Amino acid sequence: MARREAIAAAGALLVAAWVFREATALPFGSLRQPGPGFAPRWAAVTLAGLSVLLLVQALRALPSTGSGPPPAPEARGGGLRVAGLVLALAFYVVALVPVGYPICTFLLVLFMRRPTTRRALLPALVLAAAAAAGSYLLFAVWLRVPLPPGPFAG
Amino acid sequence: MEILSLLGGGFAVALTPTNLMYCFLGSLIGTAIGVLPGLGPPATIALLLPVTYGLAPTSAVILLAGIFYGAMYGGSTTSILLKIPGEAASVVTCLDGYQMARQGRAGAALAISAIGSFVAGTVSVVGLMLLAPPLATFALRFGAPEYCALLVLGLLMVGYLGGGSMTKGLMMAVLGLLLGMVGLDPIVGSPRFTLGVFKLSEGFEFVLVAMGLFGIGEVLANVAHAVPPAVLKTRIQGLLASREEWRRAGPPLARGSLLGFLIGVLPGGGAVISSFVSYALEKRLSRHPEQFGKGAVEGVAGPEAANNAAATSSFVPLLTLGIPGNASIALIFAALLIHGVRPGPLLVTERPEVFWGLIASMYIGNLVLLVLNLPLIRLWVKLLEVPYPLLAPFIVVFVLVGAYSVNNSVFDVGTTVAFGALGYLLRKLDFEPAPLVLAMILGPQLEAALRRSLIYSRGDLMVFIERPIAASLLALAALMLLAPLFRWLLQRRVREMAAAGSPPPD
Repeated sequence: MARREAIAAAGALLVAAWVFREATALPFGSLRQPGPGFAPRWAAVTLAGLSVLLLVQALRALPSTGSGPPPAPEARGGGLRVAGLVLALAFYVVALVPVGYPICTFLLVLFMRRPTTRRALLPALVLAAAAAAGSYLLFAVWLRVPLPPGPFAG
Repeated sequence: MEILSLLGGGFAVALTPTNLMYCFLGSLIGTAIGVLPGLGPPATIALLLPVTYGLAPTSAVILLAGIFYGAMYGGSTTSILLKIPGEAASVVTCLDGYQMARQGRAGAALAISAIGSFVAGTVSVVGLMLLAPPLATFALRFGAPEYCALLVLGLLMVGYLGGGSMTKGLMMAVLGLLLGMVGLDPIVGSPRFTLGVFKLSEGFEFVLVAMGLFGIGEVLANVAHAVPPAVLKTRIQGLLASREEWRRAGPPLARGSLLGFLIGVLPGGGAVISSFVSYALEKRLSRHPEQFGKGAVEGVAGPEAANNAAATSSFVPLLTLGIPGNASIALIFAALLIHGVRPGPLLVTERPEVFWGLIASMYIGNLVLLVLNLPLIRLWVKLLEVPYPLLAPFIVVFVLVGAYSVNNSVFDVGTTVAFGALGYLLRKLDFEPAPLVLAMILGPQLEAALRRSLIYSRGDLMVFIERPIAASLLALAALMLLAPLFRWLLQRRVREMAAAGSPPPD
């Protein structure tokens, strides 16, 4: 835990440094007339201060906790599954307009059902088709959300 | 007596078949959009605004108000069942409501939420009716320094929401502040942190960030586990709250109703701030603060009562001063103007049928919402019996469509996915995302209030000390910030005395 906190604090410190650098490009103004860079610089300094505090707390806790407990057994391989789903979602975003909502949703639901449960293909296909068609009917047809139709246009 | 006679006139207007139908329709649509993430009250009111052009002004405002407070009611449902806040004010409900659902108490959480919302909504309507003019006068005394102080206090409370480490909670709050700064500067309008992306000049849409962090983030966290979460395997124990749960929920409901009403009256206050202030208050008052975030009844009852009370009382500045306090109320303000009705001090005398008709419709709307929502609890709870691997794709599809429907933009879907990945990362690192989301809403308001205060006082920081309301609020904030230090000093003293063999102080 302490090790992860130290990593998080270091990451937040980097974010604070980046924000401060970006904020220096904005006019700071003065106390009488604060500019657009006024609040971001103060926020960046506060974040940096809090990050240092967390880092110190984590480093002080490190010797007693060592490198922390090993990851829980159910978490093994979980990172890959998460990365796979994030990639699938990224593909969904890119393909949504050119390919259309029904097909993208069908593929996404199929992807989410197949590798995680190893169920037979047919129920997964039926579920994916039902999810894509059902949600399209609900949102695009009934609620009139202009979802990209893809080849189903017109 | 005069008020009762005027209210009677209001009921005569609200109980006509047409207005009754619009009240029911507004409550129903509001509940539905509260349940559906993405389609928030402002978006729905904006969509339905043209539909009201053909209606009488009273019918139009009854319909739109019903949508607004109906959404507050419905917003808690997905927060409790799926940890997806249907709208901003329900973010806090996710913390304990979802944990109650995981422990098989979804029915109890929904019942407390529904009845708490009814009680708070009704209390708030009575307050609106009786106290509108004097409270609006008090709210007029809030200038930029008072708002700045109120928001500083709010932000510290947001940091406190993190549950575990205050440092982590405050870090999330500052990150939320920074995210709220993306887009155009609130005073001079120059772009900040847009990375050259035009869409970012509008800033991050709050609802997208919330849906990503909570909705997608939760699914990713569950996907990471080989075994699906136990939430949906837990036996559901009863559909209504037990006597013990009602006993625990009572005082938070009362406090939440009062707090929500008072905060809702302040322009810019509203349901979101009231819900997390109520949560922080209940946690402070609780004998078991460690249960908060793990399914504490008080963590559902207080915020739910507060956000519903605030939704109703936010009509006070609109109806008596003509000041809309939030986006939804601003749209209702626009609707009234379109119909030739000018909200303000003269509304009560010039258009009593609109003022009292609306108030009477709120009594009816609250009853309609209770009748609508209590029977639906059984249906909502059934949702939990669906196996998670089957439910997860639907949650994702629901969130993605919700994200798209905000602005009909693929960029928004991408933003939601990116924040989903961030939400997963934050969970892995044991950071609570709620303070980030809430600070993101408060951030722009705080910055604007701070800069206006400094411009107004010509850079004199004494403006925050010389004004009694601002000074009191800042003193409260300082006490809150220093409380952990006092606690640490006290604990050290107790340890030292124990080591020296003398009895510890009381």
